This record gives sequence, C-alpha cells and structure tokens, in this order.
Amino acid sequence: MSLKDTFLNNPERRYVMFGGKGGLGKTTFSAATAFWLASQGNKVLVFSVDPQASLSDIFQQNIFGKGPVKIKENLWAQEIDADSHIKEYQNEIRKKILDMYGFDKVPDEIEQYIQAASAEPAMEESAIFDAVVDIVVKGDYDYYIYDLVPLGHALYYLSMAKVYDEWINRITKLREEMREYEEMVSRLKQEKHTEEDQILTELTYIKNRINASSRILTDREKTAFFFVVVPEEMIILDTMKAAKLFAAFDVPLAGYVVNRVVPRELLSQDIPPYLRNRIEMQDKYLGRIKTELGEQVRAHVPELERDVTGLPMIEKLAGIMYG
Amino acid sequence: MTDEPRPKKSFYQNLKEIIYGMAAHDMSRYAIRTRASMEHLFILITMGDLLGIPILPPYYSLRLLPYVVPQIATWKRRMLREKDLSDAMF
Repeated sequence: MSLKDTFLNNPERRYVMFGGKGGLGKTTFSAATAFWLASQGNKVLVFSVDPQASLSDIFQQNIFGKGPVKIKENLWAQEIDADSHIKEYQNEIRKKILDMYGFDKVPDEIEQYIQAASAEPAMEESAIFDAVVDIVVKGDYDYYIYDLVPLGHALYYLSMAKVYDEWINRITKLREEMREYEEMVSRLKQEKHTEEDQILTELTYIKNRINASSRILTDREKTAFFFVVVPEEMIILDTMKAAKLFAAFDVPLAGYVVNRVVPRELLSQDIPPYLRNRIEMQDKYLGRIKTELGEQVRAHVPELERDVTGLPMIEKLAGIMYG
Repeated sequence: MTDEPRPKKSFYQNLKEIIYGMAAHDMSRYAIRTRASMEHLFILITMGDLLGIPILPPYYSLRLLPYVVPQIATWKRRMLREKDLSDAMF
C-alpha cells in the first residue's frame, strides 16, 4: 500500500506523526505531508513539539511562538514556545492565588515554590505536552501533523501520558476518599450540604486532558505513526528497537518511509567509485529493509539534488511521496 | 454591650444535640482527623517539592497550588515536627 493509499483508505485519520532518529527527515516529511493534504482540500495544521524546531527553517519564515501561522491555502504551521507557555501559566497561577485570597502579593514561600517547580527539567516537557493537548482538543483542523522530536524524546512524551494518567488516577482516588469522610461528617452533624471540592474538580479536568491525549496517541482509527528510516545499518537497528518500544505503548504503527535513497539511474552513467560504493551499500540495506519490513514500507524517497526548504521544494517532495 | 437574649432552643433541638454528642460526636471527630491526615498526605504527594521531596509532575501540581495555599503552613509544621508517643494517643 502506498503512502497515498494509507490516507485514502482511512478517511477517519486525523493525527499523523513522523518519528525516527534525528536528522533523517521527519520535519521534511511532515511538511510535505501537510502540503499534500492541504492541496487535497483539507484544513491542515503541522506543528512542532521540539524546542529546537525547524519548521521555521523549512517554511523559510519565523513562526516560533506565534501560534498557528498560515503558510498557504488550507495549511497552517505552528512551533510551540515552551518557555513563554510556562511563563503565562505561572502568571495564571499567581493571579488565581491573588484573586482567591485577596492578597496584594503572592506569599514568599509560595512564590519560591512556583519558581522552583518551573526550573525542573520535567516542566518543559509537561508544558509542551499541555500545549499540544490544547491544540488537538480544539479540533479546528481536519488533519494534525505532529513533527515529533527524535526517538528518545518521543518515547518520553508517550510514556509521560501513561505515567501522568496513573498518577492522576491515584490522587483522584485519594481525593474521593477524602470527600467520603467529609460527607460522613456532614451526615453525622446533619448538615444539608457539603461544599464542592474544587481540587477534585481540577483533578478531573487534568485527568480528562491527559486521557484525551493518550486516547489520541493510541487511537487506531484516527492516528497514524510513520517511522522514517534510511538504508544504513545503525539506523535500521535503532528504528527496529524503537518500533518495539512504541508498540509496547500501543502506538498504531502505520508504516515506514525510506529516505535518502540514491537514485539507481546513476548506475548507467559514468560515476565515481565513491558513489557506486554507496549505492551498493544501500542496496544491501534496502534488501534487509525489504525482508524485515516488507509490506510495511510505504514509500522510497530519493536523495534530492538539494535540501528541502521553501514551498517549491516541499511541493516537489510532496509530488514524489504522494504522486 | 447590649444584652440580647439568645434565641431559646427548642426541646427537640436540645435533644438532637445531646444525642449527637453521645452517639456521633466521637465518630465525626475521628472522621475529621482522618480527613485532615489525608489532606496532609495529599499535599505531600502534590506539593512535595516544598519540603524538598519532588514526587511527581510539577506542571500539574502548580494547578492545584492555589487551593492549598492556606493549608501549607500547618502542613509543613506537621510534616517537620518531631514525633513522639503521645501522637498516637491524641
């Protein structure tokens, strides 16, 4: 099945992700896929969760932290600025504290906590995670293309959803037990009602958000995860390992795209031994990819004559991938 | 100071309170204490960083922070206080 067919045969599909080692072409494929889907009349958002995102580079305009930026008809791109997202979030928390208790300023101890919490390494990932949930739950677009961070981070991102989910479930349970005690006291004292537990309300909200996100990541109908691989030994081995790990998180694997294949037509020309050797090496690993992944390979993308930046090159690549 | 007469409680009201005191007061006291311990446990889990014990995701614990601001002082006192045998009795 070609890449194009995987989309045509799955009209329910909404979320598309390209994963793989760094530098193999995830951003490029994300951009080209977004371009193609948009040109088919779908409203598409391609967004990056990478702090060192390169969508700005590929579209040749600065979109960092600017929200969804229109690139062309039906196509929007967005790079999440985690730092300013965290700052905004901190301010919201501060404002809430001031409003709730009528303070003039946030108590020192609390302020220190807010700052310390934000300095933790997990903070940035969580902030990005939350920003992504914000984007996808709104449902403003027909397709969402995630330009994922390299493998390790992507796995972290996926496992975070699971860990958070379990963590929140536990504390929600504790909170519910607390609620039961409160109700018991009210009953014994024959009071008519107990106050609404706002923390429980918050927890339920957090839980729903996290669940929404893990549901998306593991939805077989709506989500497609593609691995980018190039015909080289280490990359194939790493990708296989990663695919196993992703499968353990129930991520619906929709196939592999092989990138950087040196055009075979060159063999009929007078080419230097260097290039001939590379083609032979690639042949060996392409054979291996074929035996190990077989039907799951959706497309072979040739090494292009120049790097892919700017809309004309993206269009050209989209033509190769989906033509 | 004006001497406002307190509204007289009805016989029924008095009886209700006596019965509550005899039968249920201890139970509700116990329930409130358990509830308070749980509250502290809850803050420990969500705001552990305040004591230097990072337990889990800081991003979402910040969301809960505004609601526990008043409890934080007593919670810290309780957590950092030395414990002795009398704790088990009272």
